[in-house]
Amino acid sequence: MKKYIGTRLIESLAAILVITILVFALTHMSGSPVDALLPQDATQDQIDALVAQWGLDQPLAVQYLTFLKNALAGDFGDSLKWRGYSAMGVVLDRFPQTLLLGGVAVAISVIVAIPLGVMAAMNRNGPLDRGAQIFSLFGQSVPQFWFAILLIWFLAVALQLVPTSGSGSWRHLILPAIAMAWFQIAALSRLTRSAMLDVLDAEYIKLARVKGVREARVVWVHALRNAAVVPLTYFGVLAGSVLTGSVTIETVFSWPGLGWVAIEAIRARDFPVVQAVVVIFAIIYIVSNFLVDILNAYIDPRVRS
Amino acid sequence: MKIFNEPLCTGMRHLTGATALAAMLPLAAMAQEVTVVMDPIASESTLYWETEGAFMLPSLQGLVGNNPETGKFDNSGLASSWETNDDLTSWTFTLKPEATFSGGWGKVTAADVVHSVNLHTGDDSRLSGIANLRAATVTAVDDHTVRFDFDSPQADFLFLLAGRGVLAIYSKAQFDAEGLGGYKTAPAGTGPFVYDGTELGQGMTFSAVKDHWSGISADYDTLSIRFVGEAATKLAMLLSNEADVVSLPRELQPQALDEGFEIIRSTQGASQTALVFGALYTDPEGGELPQGLPWADVRVREAMNRALDREQMLEALYSGRTEALPVFTMDEQYEGYTPELSAQFDQDYGYDPERAMELLAEAGYPEAFDNPVIPIILTSLPGNPEFPLISEMAQAFFESVGLQTEMREMDGASILAARRARNAPWVMPVRNAPIRPAQLGLQVYFSKVNRPTAYVDSPEINAMFDQLAAATDMDERDALASDIFTMLYQDYSHMPLAKIFAEVTVDPDSIESWTFPGSTSSGLSHYHLIKTAD
Repeated sequence: MKKYIGTRLIESLAAILVITILVFALTHMSGSPVDALLPQDATQDQIDALVAQWGLDQPLAVQYLTFLKNALAGDFGDSLKWRGYSAMGVVLDRFPQTLLLGGVAVAISVIVAIPLGVMAAMNRNGPLDRGAQIFSLFGQSVPQFWFAILLIWFLAVALQLVPTSGSGSWRHLILPAIAMAWFQIAALSRLTRSAMLDVLDAEYIKLARVKGVREARVVWVHALRNAAVVPLTYFGVLAGSVLTGSVTIETVFSWPGLGWVAIEAIRARDFPVVQAVVVIFAIIYIVSNFLVDILNAYIDPRVRS
Repeated sequence: MKIFNEPLCTGMRHLTGATALAAMLPLAAMAQEVTVVMDPIASESTLYWETEGAFMLPSLQGLVGNNPETGKFDNSGLASSWETNDDLTSWTFTLKPEATFSGGWGKVTAADVVHSVNLHTGDDSRLSGIANLRAATVTAVDDHTVRFDFDSPQADFLFLLAGRGVLAIYSKAQFDAEGLGGYKTAPAGTGPFVYDGTELGQGMTFSAVKDHWSGISADYDTLSIRFVGEAATKLAMLLSNEADVVSLPRELQPQALDEGFEIIRSTQGASQTALVFGALYTDPEGGELPQGLPWADVRVREAMNRALDREQMLEALYSGRTEALPVFTMDEQYEGYTPELSAQFDQDYGYDPERAMELLAEAGYPEAFDNPVIPIILTSLPGNPEFPLISEMAQAFFESVGLQTEMREMDGASILAARRARNAPWVMPVRNAPIRPAQLGLQVYFSKVNRPTAYVDSPEINAMFDQLAAATDMDERDALASDIFTMLYQDYSHMPLAKIFAEVTVDPDSIESWTFPGSTSSGLSHYHLIKTAD
């Protein structure tokens, strides 16, 4: 197990290193920061000052090492849009908002998707199963931003039950959390259903039934425990994508989390914040996948080998 | 407009009907909030010099104001009067003795102005156009007189100090007591609002000052400015009565109008738009001259202008709520305005595809050109949502008269990089440009001053521009600017499209009127003139 954890840890660190190279390269491939940061009528003095400040006159390798060194210290420079904040300061300031929204969305996803998937499997080809499959189909094919706007139109504009956007109260949380959970419920319920169908055909389940174990216990304890490996694996992706996939939802609902920060920073050509957000997003993804891998290995010894 | 009065609202739950409400109104003053929703601003800061100057807090003021009706400079700012010497190198401002900072920081003095200039011209200043202020030597002549001295004439200095300005006046007393920290959390201003706070990414809140020193106060209590980027969300906020005034993209305005909302536009034009020819360089002083561009031939440029059905374009782009523009950077508010050019615009630039084809044939297009294909830039730039549509419509019109075109998708930074490298041989919509005095506008787009990014670099215009920059006689300046505009016009040096007004969509149930001149970068100002409905 230790060897497995060590290997995965090294792989994760390597992935983070590659991400930093990509972030650095993309920043430079999209043109000189000078053209993005300075106004059209910038003087040569202003350009020279910025070049010196960013070290743009240094070789690329030197620039990358400087970037990496600063990034390791969490220093991506100062935000250009949110003056008075460092880039990482903006990210850390907004991260709790994303955690809150993502956490609620994940909770809704799990609470709805797991029972839905299990019940669909129990009623294979029945009305409930068909209903769940239609729900999943829509959930995975309807664009998130479009569904978000529909929610706003119906619940906030037509019925005026909740605010359209913004943050500050639990009522502001309802629409973005539902919109974010919608896709995940669809995906997670399908996976759960599929895994449950496999397990419910297994010999040990039949044996449990023959031995007279109550059906509810057979399904919710014996079958679900073994079927849980598949949705659990997906959970890592889910946690990562809910936290990082908040870009669309946070923008539509003007929810001031990391996704919203990412879009606003791009709009404002705030390079330091864009870099900080991308690196943080990557770390979230890698860490959540790392944890799920470890959990999988703990649950299923075959994974370790 | 939201009504906030918790005890009153609680009590209202037990009452119904307008009579009950009317009976209660006199019992307690009702706090009224006006919510204005706009696009997120490029820099959120209470330190004006740390921003590009796109949004001056409504609690702050400059020395010079803009008349809300005419947009002309007036003394609604902190200076009651000003004068300049004959050669426009020295400007002296007399401050209003009654002007007072909020928060008990005292009267406005010349020391505050000098202090503010020093802050705004520091190394950390990001204000666009700050170079002109940096060139000034500022002197506090006495408590209420301040003088700016320059080495060269500054004919447009008032513009720098007014709505689209580079100088907001901060309290020196507050700085001495609290440092920048005080400015960040509670900057004292002199405007008709007091800054209450910022919620990062959400917006800013201001309280209206009752009995403001100027004698003018808003007729509501709180101004809430919300920053929302998503257009559909902004419309939803309007429809659900969460917002009173929304800066709505034009494509969503019809939906709001259908629902009974109204559009208020600035009293004066806020910006101009045009299509420009890249690399129209003929001055060898500026560097290597481009070769073989089809639009180097004036007949091709005229043909391209005549290929455009501007009426149809402007109807599609702005629902027709614009004014014709004969020369990009020329405006009747400023010197050099030449009404004859407006009068003959239809005749010289009007939609005439047959004439366009004749001109192309005369020019030998396409055979006479090594590369007759005209690249058109397709880009998306924040604040310029109509860019892609302008490019697409232009391409359709150009091709209909036989011009060969290709669409090139590029981001704003790459375009600017190419222009800085003098390697931008293409046609593109120009960023919606704020309306500025003639010299400032010409300087940015059509003169050698802005090499290498100017669109036109011609020896004749450069020579005339030098004369304009040096001229101090107003009549002479007017004539010189007019000559340059006429030359640009006659040379078909670009494809002017329209003068655009700043527009907001309002809820008529809460907002009765708002008079603003469109003279700031965002187009919005004079928030105290928002009149709430009864």
